[in-house]
Order: sequence, then structure tokens, then C-alpha cells
Amino acid sequence: MLHYRSVQLARALVTRLFFGVLSLLFISFVTFMADEIAPGDAATVLSGEKASLETVERLRRQMGLDRPWPIRYVEFVGHSARGDFGKSLYGIKEDVGVILARNLPMTLFIATCAISIASLIGITLGTFAGVYQNKLPDRFILVVSTLGVTLPNFVLAPLLVFFLANKQGLFDLFYQTWEVNRKDPDFYYLFLPIVVLSARPTALITRLTRASMVDTLQQEFIRTAIAKGVPRFRLYTVHALRNAILPVVTAIGTTFGFLLTGSFVVETFFRLPGLGSTTIDAIKKGDMPVVQACVMLTGALFIFLNLVVDFLLPILDPRIRESQV
Amino acid sequence: MKKRDWFLIGGAIYLVFIVAFAAFGPAVRQVQLYPLAKIVDPAITQFDVVREAVSKKPFQPPGTGEAFLGTDELSRDVVARLAQGARVSLLVGLVVQGIALVVGVLMGVLGVFGPKWLRQPIMRFTDGMFAFPDILLAILIVAVVGLGILPVIAALAVTSWPSIARLVSTQVATLKDREYVVAAKAAGAPTGYLVIKHILPQLSGLLLAYSMIELAGTILAESTLSFLGIGVQEPDPSWGNMINTARINMNSHPVMLIWPCLFLSATIFALNFVGDGLRAYFDPKS
Repeated sequence: MLHYRSVQLARALVTRLFFGVLSLLFISFVTFMADEIAPGDAATVLSGEKASLETVERLRRQMGLDRPWPIRYVEFVGHSARGDFGKSLYGIKEDVGVILARNLPMTLFIATCAISIASLIGITLGTFAGVYQNKLPDRFILVVSTLGVTLPNFVLAPLLVFFLANKQGLFDLFYQTWEVNRKDPDFYYLFLPIVVLSARPTALITRLTRASMVDTLQQEFIRTAIAKGVPRFRLYTVHALRNAILPVVTAIGTTFGFLLTGSFVVETFFRLPGLGSTTIDAIKKGDMPVVQACVMLTGALFIFLNLVVDFLLPILDPRIRESQV
Repeated sequence: MKKRDWFLIGGAIYLVFIVAFAAFGPAVRQVQLYPLAKIVDPAITQFDVVREAVSKKPFQPPGTGEAFLGTDELSRDVVARLAQGARVSLLVGLVVQGIALVVGVLMGVLGVFGPKWLRQPIMRFTDGMFAFPDILLAILIVAVVGLGILPVIAALAVTSWPSIARLVSTQVATLKDREYVVAAKAAGAPTGYLVIKHILPQLSGLLLAYSMIELAGTILAESTLSFLGIGVQEPDPSWGNMINTARINMNSHPVMLIWPCLFLSATIFALNFVGDGLRAYFDPKS
């Protein structure tokens, strides 16, 4: 009965949603506790090095930091949920929300570009390798993707920069115009960062698609389709890939999550104003509110993407739609 | 011999080399370079050679005098720093994997054999750790504890045990229903004895292979943190921060990038090859 099944599906998805919110609370707790455990608090930083103990104590009382931590934790969660992460401890003491809003677009943009490129190339190459299993193209793709998975970003980045930007003069290195020209980002500067960022996901998706294709091509419905005389191209794309793509979709979702949380290296290397570089700068300065907000935001994005995958899979695969309890 | 075996042997030979390099390299270079460093700074002690200048000019080309890979931006010997970096990477990796193995095996076994009220929370906690992106947790820990080698070890140890715990718990769950284990149990063997005598020895090969691959991940994570400037701090060398300082001077002295990048990549490749090769021997499935 369709109705019964859809109720079951809805229940499963609501459970996922509940666990998503729970994970978010867990992350908020960990980030809050990190600040609690860390030596010194906002009051000590704000009152400066030369402040007397009384001054610090007075400021602490003013900021409400002398209250027990459970109360402050609830307050912290409430404020964060409304997007109020407090103010930065350094510089012009900017609103953390403003800092995030300024830096998030860059991270989102390069991560989205990277995952799109990685999916496109990865699925194509993976399908190709799977079809030509153990033949020359497959071997070649396998070796290159193994390299891609193991080669660190910060080794790949200087290599590309050295050969493409310095030697050939093909690309300008560092992105400078984002601040001035936010409306119309200059893709030219972002080419290398996106290539570096997409290298590992491309390799991962290629390997996964290949494995999944190899698995699928051995199944009986493929043999039936061949016997039926389905044209090769249609066989590989419509029959095989349609079935092989499901684990790949899951992987794309989680990889996208890791790109959003893990663009630290690329952003630092190419000096892009994104979430990753903001986080690293904040850690070096000891700017706890910014660190907390960045971690919570990236954590939230990560969880959100996993949820999207959970919701997407039943749409793509009728078997999951029906089997989910 | 299969092709995989050649990768395994090649990787193993490289690993022996890198361990020897890390173990003896710094000491040998200290002895060799001490007279040179003393010319630059008479007050230097032998142990500072890795961190201090050994010549009066920075960026000496390879092959000048004692410094056969040249000197870096602060006229320090590149070979000595590479060796010390290898030591840091391997030490951090081994300590972290040691902790991860102990905690992971304990958690994995407890998740299957532990008291009933403990099993579910342990498994949920392990899953929860997976849901939290590694690098974020590491960054939080570094933000709390501060910068340096010890915080890096702490951060990486906290993030690396769950994958071992998951491997152990799935393996233990299948092994505990094997006939010889059931037979031992029927003969009256206590659970602790079962686990230590019958189950864990079966797992040891797979665990060794798996932790090789994990070790590669840990070394990579350590260099990533050091590259970002929140790991091992100058003047202490690490491959990660050597790459970072090298890329700052990339336009004028691109040669500086080659060695740390090469050592890091080769080590990660070798560990993966050896790990994969060992897994093929120990994993009944492949």
C-alpha cells in the first residue's frame, strides 16, 4: 500500500532530521566547552594585558561571564540559532555574523564549483574505467586517481602554481578583487584554487563510480539487457549507470561536506577570503567567538548536506523508498 | 610475483630508509655541521644545529660545502631539517596511532562484549565522532590547547580512534560467532580470555595493515596543520611548515619546495602501498 509506505518513509526522514538537530546541538556543546576549557576568557582578552584583576572581574560581571556555564550554554545556543555569534575580540570588534557573511560566499562558491567539476569528470571517467575494466584506459585512470587521492593539496597547489602560473604565465596567482568586485567574481583568479580543490574529490568519485559500475555490470539484469539487444551506449548509461550511481550520490554529498569544512589549505594557499582562512586566522589570534562561529557554521553545513543526501536517496532509488522502515 | 607485491616491497624499502633517516639523520648532521654552525654563531650548542644557521648566506645552492641540499631562508641545513621533519612526522604519527589503536580496540571490543548498558552508548558515540568533521575537531582542540607538537598529537588522537573502533567492532562481531570461539566459550572460557586469546590475535594482521593506512592519514593531517601554521611551530622543522615557508619564497627559490613535498608524498604513498599489500594478505575478503 503506497500510503502506508510513504508514512514509513516520512517517519524515517523525520528521525534523520531529529538526529541532525541532535548532532548540531552536540557540535554547539563541544564548541562552547572548548571556550570554557581554554585558559582565559573574553573578559581577560578585552580588558587587555595590563588590566588589574578587579577590572577584569568587573568586565566579567558586566558581560555575564560569572554565571554558571549551563545558563550561558543555553544562552549561547539561543543566540547562535538566531545567527548572533557575538563580537570579535580583536580589531574593530566586528560582529561575527558580519565576518561570516562576508567570507561564506567564497567558500560556498569554490566548493560548489569543485564538487560540480569533480562529479562531472569523476562519474564520466569512472564509468569509462568500469566499462573498460582491466584494460588500458582503466589501468591508466586507476593509477591517476590513486595519485589524486593520496597527493596532498598543499603539494599539488605549489606544483600547479609553479608550472602553470610561474613558468607558463597562464594564470594570475592571488585573488584580489573579490572585495571590490563582489557582484561579478573574477573566475580567472579562482581557476587554480578550484582545480586544486577538486582534485581529490574527482579521484574519489572516479574510484567509487568505477567500483560501483564493475559491480553493477556483473549483475543479471545487465546480461538480460545485452541478450535483449540493448545498444551498448544505452546499456552503459541508462541501465548500468542509473543503478551504479546511488553510492556515488551519497559520496558526493559527504565529499561536498568535507570540501566546505576542508578548504582550509586551498584558501590559505591562494589567500582567498573564505571561511577556512578566517578560521585559521582566528585561531592564530586566539579570537574564540570567530573560531566558534566558523566551526558551528561549517559543522551545520556538513550536517545539512548529509541530510540532503538522506532525502535525495529515496527520490533516486525506489528500492530505498520501499524498504525504509 | 604479482604487481602488488612489488609495490609492497618498494614501499617497505622506502619506509626502512625513512625510519633510518629520521632516527640517525639529525644526529649525524649535528656532528657534521657543528663546526660550520660554530663559525656563524660561536655560542651555539650541538643540539641547535637543526634550528640555527650553518652558513652566513641564506639559500645556498645544493652542493655547497657540507650542505649538500643547500640551505634555506635562514641559512639552515635542508638535510638536517628534512631529517628532523621526518622524525617529527613519524613520531607524531606513531604516538597518535598507538593511542588510537589502544582506545579503538578497547572501544570496539566493549561495543560488542561490554556490559549491555554500555554497548549502545559506545556505538552511538563512535558514530557521532564520525559525523563530526575531523579537521574541525582538531582545530577546536588546537584553539583550546594552543600551538605546538603536543596539541597536534592530542587533536589527531581524538579524531583518529573512531575508525579503528568501527573496524574492530564489526570484525569482533563476526568473529565471535565463529565455531572455534563458540567452542571455547562452551568449554567455559571467560570473555576476557576469549577476546585476548582467540579473537584479537585473529585481528592483529588486519589491524596492522589498517593502521599503516591510517598512519598515512595522520602524517598527512599533521603536515596539514603545520602547513596552516597551527601545528608544529618554527623554528622546529616539520615537512608541513617547511612546505609553507618554501611556498612563501616560491617565486625566488622554487627548489626549496621539492624536497619536503617529495618526502611527504613518498611517505604517504609508501604507507598506502604497504598497508594495501598487507591488507591483501590478511583480509580474507580480497
